[in-house]
Amino acid sequence: MVAQAYPENAPFLQVAGLTKTFAGQFALRGVTFDLRRGEVLGLIGPNGAGKTTLLETIAGILPAENGHITSRGEEIPERQIRQTLFYVPDGIRPYGEQYVAQVLSFMASVFRRSAKDVEQTIAAAGLSEVLGKRVNSLSKGFARRLLLAIGFLTPHPVLLMDEPFDGFDLKQTRNMMSVLRDMAANGRTLLLSIHQMADAERVCDRFVLLADGTVRGAGTLEQLRSQTARPDGRLEDIFLALT
Amino acid sequence: MRSLEVVAPKAPLWPLLAKEMREITGGRAFWIMFLLLCGLVGFSFLQAAELYGEASASAKDSPLLAGSLSPLDGVLVPTLGAFYLGVTLLFPFVAIRVISNEKETGALCLLVQLPYGVSTLCATKLTAILLAWAAAGVPALSAIAVWMIAGGHIQGGETLNLLFGHLLYGLLIGSIALFAAAISESSATAAIIVLAVTIGSWVLDFTAAGHSGMLAWLSQVSLTQTLRPFEQGLLSVGLVIGMVGATLGFAGLAGIWLPPGVSTRRKLLRSAICGLGICATMAAAAAVRRTIDMTEDRRNSFSAADQEQLSRLSGHLAITVRLAPEDPRFADLRRNVLSKIERAMPSVTIDIPGRGSGDGPDRYGEVNYSYGGRVDMSRSTSHREILPLIYGLAGVPPPSAPSAPDYPGYPLILGAHWPAPWFFGVLPLMTAALWWRSRRPPKITHLTEGEQS
Repeated sequence: MVAQAYPENAPFLQVAGLTKTFAGQFALRGVTFDLRRGEVLGLIGPNGAGKTTLLETIAGILPAENGHITSRGEEIPERQIRQTLFYVPDGIRPYGEQYVAQVLSFMASVFRRSAKDVEQTIAAAGLSEVLGKRVNSLSKGFARRLLLAIGFLTPHPVLLMDEPFDGFDLKQTRNMMSVLRDMAANGRTLLLSIHQMADAERVCDRFVLLADGTVRGAGTLEQLRSQTARPDGRLEDIFLALT
Repeated sequence: MRSLEVVAPKAPLWPLLAKEMREITGGRAFWIMFLLLCGLVGFSFLQAAELYGEASASAKDSPLLAGSLSPLDGVLVPTLGAFYLGVTLLFPFVAIRVISNEKETGALCLLVQLPYGVSTLCATKLTAILLAWAAAGVPALSAIAVWMIAGGHIQGGETLNLLFGHLLYGLLIGSIALFAAAISESSATAAIIVLAVTIGSWVLDFTAAGHSGMLAWLSQVSLTQTLRPFEQGLLSVGLVIGMVGATLGFAGLAGIWLPPGVSTRRKLLRSAICGLGICATMAAAAAVRRTIDMTEDRRNSFSAADQEQLSRLSGHLAITVRLAPEDPRFADLRRNVLSKIERAMPSVTIDIPGRGSGDGPDRYGEVNYSYGGRVDMSRSTSHREILPLIYGLAGVPPPSAPSAPDYPGYPLILGAHWPAPWFFGVLPLMTAALWWRSRRPPKITHLTEGEQS
């Protein structure tokens, strides 16, 4: 373990000036925001806003043209970023021909998780009934649960999740929100990309509003309300006002 | 005060290797390749054993004829030739799975975030490919076992040398497949790239056969040429260095192109550096001329006394051959004399002047030998005439040590197709059983077995 002391209320990580282009078109334009320990930060924006690109760029899956990630004002080396963040992508079915149990076992072994951790993860993700199924044969909802379970098994202090509730019904979404809230309460920082604003409002502590690759607003719901002069405004109204 | 905790980078390798093996055996390509290899290797072995048996029947009463019967040429090379065919045409489809599958399903995005370096990931994938190659070699190894059980002779050195050559060839094909999968977005594209290289080698061989100059030089980089010395019973140190270097080079290139979070420009720059490293290794390997004759009948060497006498000649021998490379006499001269002299003497150069060298047609067929300022000429392709000529140039007497006993040969008439059920029945059935077993779901109760808390 590498330890660096820093003040309790200071941002845990800062993303500063992140810029990414595809064929000359800006996908991200100087994106800047910060993350605090144990918070659930919602990355909010419509389809095409650049949410996935932002998460993948932060996680090092996509190379960025400009920008950096810092902690206490110091840039974090690429290797340490990989050891700090884990990104759970959207819409993939990893190792489709393998069984769910094998995929979970693989991840648990890599991260040296105990049997108890694995049991708790399976219970939290609701995967018990599909452990003996192949990943390719899972429904969209169970495939999503598997991805979330992989994320839960990782020990990284920051977890980035792309559309974590996609494919869930209302009850399943609420259950998963509860799991994520517990995780944050235990000190893990979550950065969730969510396009359903009602869901985001329920689970997130703070929000980063993204449109056309640019941050249009950031803060708690109260801060955003005062910023837009809408004291009772919903996140949806605030987003529309800022974009 | 709180601390910024990061994940400890050490992670066990075994789960990664097990995952790679599941990726390989999880697809049908591996099992289909194995089934085809059972048939291919079995057919080649039976054909070779039958022909060997017919030749053995003729040699029954003739020790001279029996002396020409070597199991290496008669059985092992043709049997492993079928394995070579499978490794060339089928194995790439299996090997590319270790990367292509993860690229196509998006799992690569998870893989590169695991606490393993890119070099560890590539080394593990190459190890999995090696294990898959070893498994694919079971029919060929079983053919050798069948031959031995039937009373056939196997000489350890030449057999291990041949198997070693196939191992290096399999690893080379595997690393090319790894690289092709790393630069391709789909398994179909990766397969086309690997087959373009392997089948392209055949085309190159066919085109360059019997030619000189650029085509002859190009034919040296053909993959099919790499196995020839091993099949002839030679262990060439330079070739081994070259093949290992190329394998590591392609694996290195795969490692450069595997991570998605690196810009193409940086990948190209790193690839150029890696390419230079591969070229330097190839150049160094080409300069290493040490070869060891592994054959029992010492077919690639002169007699021990001649070998020793020639190795003592410290001066430089220059040979000028006025023969076209496609001339059969040149092939005889190269096989019987030149290649043996190159291995026996410390300093030899062989010059083959081209057609435009200005020599008249009356000089065609001459071979000039120059040593210590003296020059002599011969048109012979036999070592019995040329070795005394060289000793004469060097001013040393021909060796008088007694020659080694003649190779006895190992004739064997194998019973009519008795091993056929093994290759066409038992092995395929065992393959099907293993495939069925690999498809069964794991025991859920053992999900976290062996993991540390």
